[in-house]
Amino acid sequence: MLWATRRGCHVDRTACAWLIKRFVDPEASFAFFKDPAEAPDEAVLFDVAGARLSHHGDDCSFETFLKEYSLEDPVLAEIAEIVHDADLMDEKYGRPESEGLDAIIRGMQLHLPDDGTLIRSTEAIFDGLYTYLAREAL
Amino acid sequence: MEGKSRWLILIYRLPREPSRPRVAVWRKLKDLGALYLQDGVAALPEDAVTREQLEWLQLRIQEADGDATLWEGQPNTLVENKGLVEAFRTSREEAYQSIIARAERIQAKARLGGGEPLLTELAKLEREFRAERRRDYFRSPLRKEASEALKAARAAVREGGSSAENLSAEGGR
Repeated sequence: MLWATRRGCHVDRTACAWLIKRFVDPEASFAFFKDPAEAPDEAVLFDVAGARLSHHGDDCSFETFLKEYSLEDPVLAEIAEIVHDADLMDEKYGRPESEGLDAIIRGMQLHLPDDGTLIRSTEAIFDGLYTYLAREAL
Repeated sequence: MEGKSRWLILIYRLPREPSRPRVAVWRKLKDLGALYLQDGVAALPEDAVTREQLEWLQLRIQEADGDATLWEGQPNTLVENKGLVEAFRTSREEAYQSIIARAERIQAKARLGGGEPLLTELAKLEREFRAERRRDYFRSPLRKEASEALKAARAAVREGGSSAENLSAEGGR
C-alpha cells in the first residue's frame, strides 16, 4: 500500500512510518508532499490535518494509529508516550526519553533532508527503542 | 549585519466562551515562545518545528469553532525585522534571570550542605532551562550566563553531596 504524509518529517511521522512497516503493512511504500493537494489519489494519508490517521483531540498521530489498528502491545503504548511528549512538548507523560529522542530526530532531519532516506534511517532507532523497552518491561 | 528572516504569523479568533480552548491556545503559544503582535496575531520564526506546531494549533482552533489562518512572510524593512528579533530576545530575559537567581540560591545552599533535595530542585531547574533554550530562537545574551550558573550549581551540589556522604560514612563507623 502507498502511504503519504507531509515533507519535513519529525518524530511523530518517523515513528508512524516505522509503526506502519513493522505492525501494519510490511510492504508499505511512502510518498511525501509539500501541499496536501499534491498527494497521490490512491495513497493513505497520515499525520495530515483532517485525515483519519492524524492528531485527534489530545492524541498525536502515533497514538491515533494504535487506536485505529487496535495495537495493544504495552511496549508500543510506552513508545506512544515518548513520541507524544516529544511531538507535542506538553510533558503529558513526563517521559525523560522524549527530550533525547527529539534532539536525535531533529538532528537527523537536518543531516538527511530527504524524507525517504530519513525514515529508513530512523527505523533502527525505533527498533532499538522497542527492543530496549521490551527488555525493561520484563 | 543581519538580513531579514522568515516568519510564521498565526491570525486567529476564538469564541469568548468556553474559555478553556482560548486559554489552551494562549498557553501553547507561550510554550512555543511566540510573540503576540496584536490580539489574536502571534508570530514565530519559521522552521520545520514551528511550522508543524502552528499547523496543529490552527487545526485545534478550527475544531473549537474558531477561525485561524497561518501566514508566512517577512517584515517590510530590515529595521522592523531587527525590532522583532530584539523583542524575541527580550521576551526570554525574565525567564533566564529567574533561572540564574534560583541556580545561585541552590549553589549557596549546597555550600551549606543542602543534600538530596537540592539535586531534585536542580534537575527541575535544568529541565526548565532546556525548555527555555528551545524557545530562545535568537540566542538571548543571558542564555550563556544561565547555562554557567547551572553548571556552577551542579558542581557545588555534587561536591556538597560527596562530602555529606563521607560524613555519614564516618558517622556509621
